[in-house]
Amino acid sequence: MTGLTDQEYMRYSAHLLLEDVGEKGQLALRNAKVVIVGVGGLGAPVALYLAAAGVGHLYLVDDDHVELSNLQRQIIFTQHQIKQTKVDSAKASLTQLNPHVEVTTFAQRLTLEKADNELANMLTQVDLVIDCTDNMPTRQVINKICVTQKIPLIVGAGIRMEGQLISFNAKQADSACYHCLYPFDETAEVHNCSTSGVLGPLVGVIGSLQALEAIKHLTGMPVSSFNRLMRFDGKTLQWQHLSVAKDPQCSVCSSNV
Amino acid sequence: MKLIINDEINNLTVTTITSLLSVLEQPGKGIAVAVNQAIITRQKWDDFQLSENDQVTLFQAIAGG
Repeated sequence: MTGLTDQEYMRYSAHLLLEDVGEKGQLALRNAKVVIVGVGGLGAPVALYLAAAGVGHLYLVDDDHVELSNLQRQIIFTQHQIKQTKVDSAKASLTQLNPHVEVTTFAQRLTLEKADNELANMLTQVDLVIDCTDNMPTRQVINKICVTQKIPLIVGAGIRMEGQLISFNAKQADSACYHCLYPFDETAEVHNCSTSGVLGPLVGVIGSLQALEAIKHLTGMPVSSFNRLMRFDGKTLQWQHLSVAKDPQCSVCSSNV
Repeated sequence: MKLIINDEINNLTVTTITSLLSVLEQPGKGIAVAVNQAIITRQKWDDFQLSENDQVTLFQAIAGG
């Protein structure tokens, strides 16, 4: 592994000043492969911060196109990208921000059925998955993949003025999983931002925390949100921390020991 | 029994989480429950015995992003 170039020393000097990151941490970021599923209100700040931080390879998964109504909160996109695919638009912005970062795009929805394709293959080689999606079925699919492949997962969600953040590490036998917390099937009542509304900075707060937790995990710092649900009330700025233990009867992770 | 539910004091005749949700007329769909800041997984709702002064948090799963 080669050391940092002069350009990288300059670009990441603020990281290098931190005892918890330093050159070793920066090299770990450069070697990291991170998947961001969903490039919307959460995925926008996650992708921007991770690209800015020098995460070596980002994989973006989203089957949507940029719409005018996205621009209120999805700050990675601009007016002239309307109707383009979200992943290609995001890649253009990220490459402009940091040309050192490799970005691979998948303009498709993540499902378990496509188990033999390029996307599934990619998922066997990554260090971390960040769930920034807008619906429960896809969240359950991501969780299942992360449990099976033993990939750490950082989950964010935001709606109206409320946010939630939680992480899991399937590499650890005692880790809970998303399904331990929310064992709901597709028919469970759920809401999304297009039907219930959301303030832009609310998803900005949660997405920024997902990026923070990702950088901490990749550089070897303890991740505070492992097995811990953080609920954020945007109206009062109050946080609530709730512990989540592995459900020994969980149909997804109970055999993952 | 005195329970603090989402920061409000309630006096209810309940035993388990399932009985609490029934008294509160909460169908439980899309809902998560924590007692004293620890999530109680759904499998335990029928058996988990609530105690005097327990702090109960009832909230919705959210999936937006």
